Amino acid sequence: MRSGRRLLLPAVAVLYLPIAVLVLFSFNDAEVMALPLSGFTLRWYAALRANEAFLAGLLTSFRIAVPVGLLAAGLGLLTALGLRGAASGLRALVLLLLLAIFLVPKSVLAIGQAMLLQLAGLSRGYWALVLAQATAFLPFTTLLVGAAVLRLDRRLEEAARDLGASPLVTLRMVTLPLLAPAILAAFSAGMILSLADATLARQLAGPVQPLSLVVASAFQRELRPDLNAMQTVLLAVTFLVLGLGLARRHRRRRAARPAPVEPDHAARRPGPRRSAGSIAGRC
Amino acid sequence: MSALLLVPGLLLVLAMGVAPLLAMALIGFWSVDEMVLVPDLSARAWLEAAGSATILGLLGRALLYGSATVLLCALLGYPIALAMSRLPPLLKGAATVVLLTPLYVGEIARIYAWRILLGVNGPINWVLVESGLLDEPTRVLLYTPVSTLLALVYNNLPFMTLAIWIAAERVDLRLVEAARDLGGRPFAAFRRVTLPLTSPGLLAGALATFALAAGDQLTPALLGGTSGSTAMSMIDSLFGVAFDWPLAAATAWLLLILLLGVALLVLLLTARLPATRIVLGGGR
Repeated sequence: MRSGRRLLLPAVAVLYLPIAVLVLFSFNDAEVMALPLSGFTLRWYAALRANEAFLAGLLTSFRIAVPVGLLAAGLGLLTALGLRGAASGLRALVLLLLLAIFLVPKSVLAIGQAMLLQLAGLSRGYWALVLAQATAFLPFTTLLVGAAVLRLDRRLEEAARDLGASPLVTLRMVTLPLLAPAILAAFSAGMILSLADATLARQLAGPVQPLSLVVASAFQRELRPDLNAMQTVLLAVTFLVLGLGLARRHRRRRAARPAPVEPDHAARRPGPRRSAGSIAGRC
Repeated sequence: MSALLLVPGLLLVLAMGVAPLLAMALIGFWSVDEMVLVPDLSARAWLEAAGSATILGLLGRALLYGSATVLLCALLGYPIALAMSRLPPLLKGAATVVLLTPLYVGEIARIYAWRILLGVNGPINWVLVESGLLDEPTRVLLYTPVSTLLALVYNNLPFMTLAIWIAAERVDLRLVEAARDLGGRPFAAFRRVTLPLTSPGLLAGALATFALAAGDQLTPALLGGTSGSTAMSMIDSLFGVAFDWPLAAATAWLLLILLLGVALLVLLLTARLPATRIVLGGGR
């Protein structure tokens, strides 16, 4: 068993190898990316600040990623909640469709979407890409929120209803606060997947140029350390988004720990005002 | 009532997921006249796609890349997933983050990084030469099927590992202990207990990995060099460059049918396997 754990270290090393190389050469003082290293420099980052294509691309990527994250997380939440009470046939249909979206190659999906848009007389561009990405990432966000919905203690919602809360109030005061960490995780996942995507963008971005396409067209010609710096900045942003989500989740989990530890207590005194109020108070 | 909540997501999936695929199936029957699409009922594109040695060869290559990726990901992902399932709870959270990190790195960034790593003057060659394993840098690493396969395995390993890990988490370790207590050697306990119990995860991972690897376009195109043309890049150029939409659509659907066919075949072949294994192994 301990030998198994020893195996994880090389696995981690290999998983991070490409990332490490990207970052390493972005600080290396040489045009050519070869070992041994030539010394530390920040000049590739300095070059970025003057690079308008990069700055415009980064901004465009965010203008796409934020609505994609919102849309994918919002629809994922609705779908996950809807699946909970749906008849088994409808449930199977929705799950099957989501599975199909996940399994159909994104490049096939993107070409189909581009064809359909053109036939419908709609142009490619910002909204086409936002909708296409939200669709492609919906399986992920539904899964993330759905897992939390499954873990949800339904007695809390029932207690709120018993004490006279309307369905909407129950949703707002009990269900949504309990699901907030998962919704936030789904939002970051949608955003990050959007920042990472190039396949859908290639077919649907039209005149819009997110950073992934700027980089793709630059590096087809050559490898340049300032491209590494570009990727490193994007990585840092990605980890920031990820880190914020995780930190929040961690804090919430710690704050929420006393509640699930005493299910008996909660069952005996199902005070929705207490649980819902204290949970709502924390956000 | 709650079924109403499904409507927005369902609408998006129907409009941007199902409709494009159906449109493609329909366009496969259309014809092209001097770069203009003609709504038609012609089998030309389907026959041409199914009869073209080039297209069939590329579909075969997709099958090959997909299967090789599944095999390598299963061999590498299985021990990782098993080791992860035996970590203490605190480390499990960290392990999930580590495992998912490559997924969050942009696909272009990943490909770009492999280009640096595998190049003639790249770090891997440098280490091989400096350590005396090679006399001079090798060129087989980049712009060959090797680099494509490496990147495909890297891209898909998290999916495979995650699927196996979820299954491994549910394995009751007492069953493995019982097998050992009853005199089963470690390998026998693994083969009779752990493997059958985790095979659903392995299967799910294999199906996902196969579809993702066989349908990848950017990785082979940017890392495979002359070997990098795939069914997907063919569809792309038929669509974007040659404006032969019907042939592009028909080829895309042949690829989808191939993926679906393999998935169904694998499901049929393995559907009874784990169950039979558990029943036979337990009955003896």
